[in-house]
Amino acid sequence: MARLEPFREPPRALEGLKVVELPCLDTMPFLAASMAAKSFADFGAEVVKVEPPRTGSMERVLGPFRDEMPDPETGGLHLYLNTNKLGVTIDLENRRGRDLALDLLAPVDIVFNPNRPELNEKLGIDWRTITARFPKLIVVSITFFGAESPYRNLRGGDLVATHMSGVGCETPWHQVTDPSNQPPLKPGGRQSDYLTGYTAAAAAMCALYSRMTNGAGQHVDVGQWLSMISMIRPNIGFYSHETPDSPSFQRLSTRRKMAAQWVYPCKDGWVSFSAGTDRFWRGAKKAMGNPEWMDSELFDTNLGRAAHIDAIEAGAIDWLSTRTRAEVFEKAQAEHVPCFPVYSPAEAAGNEQYKARKFFIDLEHPAAREVRMPGAPCKFTRTPWRIVRGAPMLGEHNQKILGERIGRSDAALAELAAAGII
Amino acid sequence: MGTRPLEGIRVADFGWIYSVPHATAWLGALGADVIRIETSTAPDLVRFLTGTDGSIGANRSGIFHAINTSRRSIALNLAMPEAQEIARKIIRQSDFVTENFTVGNMAKYHLAYDDLVKTKPDIIMLSGTPLGQDGPLAGSVGFGPTTQAFAGLCHITGYPDSFPCGIGGTWPDFAVGTGMVFFLLAALHYRDRTGEGQYLDLSMAEMVTSMMPEAMMNFLMNGRDQAAMGNRDESMAPHGVFPAAGDDQWIAIAIASDDEFTKLCEALGAPSMATDPKFGRLFGRLANVEELEREIAARTRVHPRDELVAKLRTRGLAAGPVYSTPELMEDPVFSRSSMLVKLKHSEVGERVVPGLPVDFGAIDLEYRGAPMIGEHTDEVLTELLGFSAEEIARLKEAKVLI
Repeated sequence: MARLEPFREPPRALEGLKVVELPCLDTMPFLAASMAAKSFADFGAEVVKVEPPRTGSMERVLGPFRDEMPDPETGGLHLYLNTNKLGVTIDLENRRGRDLALDLLAPVDIVFNPNRPELNEKLGIDWRTITARFPKLIVVSITFFGAESPYRNLRGGDLVATHMSGVGCETPWHQVTDPSNQPPLKPGGRQSDYLTGYTAAAAAMCALYSRMTNGAGQHVDVGQWLSMISMIRPNIGFYSHETPDSPSFQRLSTRRKMAAQWVYPCKDGWVSFSAGTDRFWRGAKKAMGNPEWMDSELFDTNLGRAAHIDAIEAGAIDWLSTRTRAEVFEKAQAEHVPCFPVYSPAEAAGNEQYKARKFFIDLEHPAAREVRMPGAPCKFTRTPWRIVRGAPMLGEHNQKILGERIGRSDAALAELAAAGII
Repeated sequence: MGTRPLEGIRVADFGWIYSVPHATAWLGALGADVIRIETSTAPDLVRFLTGTDGSIGANRSGIFHAINTSRRSIALNLAMPEAQEIARKIIRQSDFVTENFTVGNMAKYHLAYDDLVKTKPDIIMLSGTPLGQDGPLAGSVGFGPTTQAFAGLCHITGYPDSFPCGIGGTWPDFAVGTGMVFFLLAALHYRDRTGEGQYLDLSMAEMVTSMMPEAMMNFLMNGRDQAAMGNRDESMAPHGVFPAAGDDQWIAIAIASDDEFTKLCEALGAPSMATDPKFGRLFGRLANVEELEREIAARTRVHPRDELVAKLRTRGLAAGPVYSTPELMEDPVFSRSSMLVKLKHSEVGERVVPGLPVDFGAIDLEYRGAPMIGEHTDEVLTELLGFSAEEIARLKEAKVLI
């Protein structure tokens, strides 16, 4: 009889790393640090999330909530963003709380701090103080504008960063016909918070590799504004290479639609497709059955198509109006034209592709019971992304971390709790 | 003295368009030797998207130069087995292979992970595709702007009660590229501990969906399909873009508390709005949001944008100008930030391009201008692979190198 090997879960890529995530104390929701720390936690690092006592962190207060019933333990953002984290509560605005939090950093590799410099200085948790005390620690400031920027103490957040970066000005993309009634727009959700989280996660890994070369930690300054500006890198090259009087340069200063691409109505909803380049234009022509109107030499070049965008759109919409999203998707893809249906969150959640790849995951949570949520942002074959623990209850790991890890006695913890510090 | 953390790491980079080149620009800046493997018979279409000073050419694209910093370029005709063998030789001396072709292209060149792992068992390979390597729709073509639609993001982006919208900046190409940096370094961290490489299969759509938890969790918990809400937020009001004096001038304002709303009303010369029962508290402002926005817009549109921004900022409020790229480039802080670097390109000379959006206390970022196509073919073949001048001449003659 064959011996049964005990089943072992595969390892995770970042096992052994220790991370602390400090809470954002601003009134403005700012979830970048939470996403950065989640990325580490889900790939196996030990993440201790510090939350303010009583209220907990922002994601517990923000919706969505099940049946619209606010509950700090079962909010959707908390359940999603705090997977795999250990939770402790510490009042950073109290001096003894601050000292406790600093003690927490002793054996740690990376700390994410999402507070503005002036508040950090007031509380004594600014990066200079922390790096001086823990020279091997990687201190990642995640702020609205950068911890050392002349704008460092300005308040920002998802809306302001998006619109100051140039992304808002380009949204909606090639759909603006009446600029005075169609203001610049931000992407749905909190895209710039999560992007900034990934920027911070990537930058923290860079600093970790730096430490492997010389043993030293460092300050890493991540700002939401610059992170968002990084999304319009092409425009910067455009700006520095083309002269302001060139016809194509005006794309940078106008919000009006310039090209045959992106989101169009069809029979049963909307599709997103691109016929912006020569190759895609030829493909789109074939997909649409080579209608005569598309043969016009006016449409032979990018610039020509931009100049006659209204005629192209009228023709395209005419064709689209009698076809479903599925038909358009199939015909366009057959000619290698980038095209996908516009899915609602429900349709995205139910699509056959995500199902086949088992993208969504289910987990048990003590307060929320069965929870389904988006899964791995990237599939690692040998060390898969994995949830081993649902989001922590408020203060769930105070005893384990503040007691066992940093050696506060039961009596000391009881006293701190009574004083409202933990 | 700062470090070059990825010195000694080599990347065989088959990436094109935006996402992978963005990721490898990070790796190159950190000191990795990024070798971009491309071909002049089917070059990166970004090389022809725009030009320099009015003329277009393979080595003149401002957009290409902005993204493809800190790397070398060699030009191979990957359709030929001998070129594939050269690529494999480079990979054997590399730590990462990165690519974002349509599913199946690398296998066509016998450069799929299963091929490579036979001769380089600890290689770390990342493939970025619209929908991932398997599943019924895996073969789909797409890039960021169409993939955001599949992922559910266009649906929640738009004006209230209006059409779904595409997002600027060819979202999410660069966001995904930033994620790739983290994923690659996480895999490297594992290899450093265990000696084991692996394959990373990134579906751009899945990553986008994983970045929209508000809408996804609302559906998964409540069955509610979130609609677009413009610039609004469910927990803040006002939270929007308001007109300033002049044509197409806008200011973004986000008010996160009742106290901040009072300050906004004072700054706008309308202190009575703060005590109006309709607007004084958050729930009232959310319930009467359209009227609230009209009232505020009527008061913002008389002010020059930057004056009003300054006025709100001195009161500690979250407010900012809505910038186009040319305006952003003239922002007094951004124009002097370390993110803008002037680099030399072999054909078009010195130009300003974007660097990493991060300031490191102790890393010397290594920025080099984008390469011309095949600029380093001879260098890489000679120094890295030990080819002789005669051999290189023969390969050029045979159109293996192009």
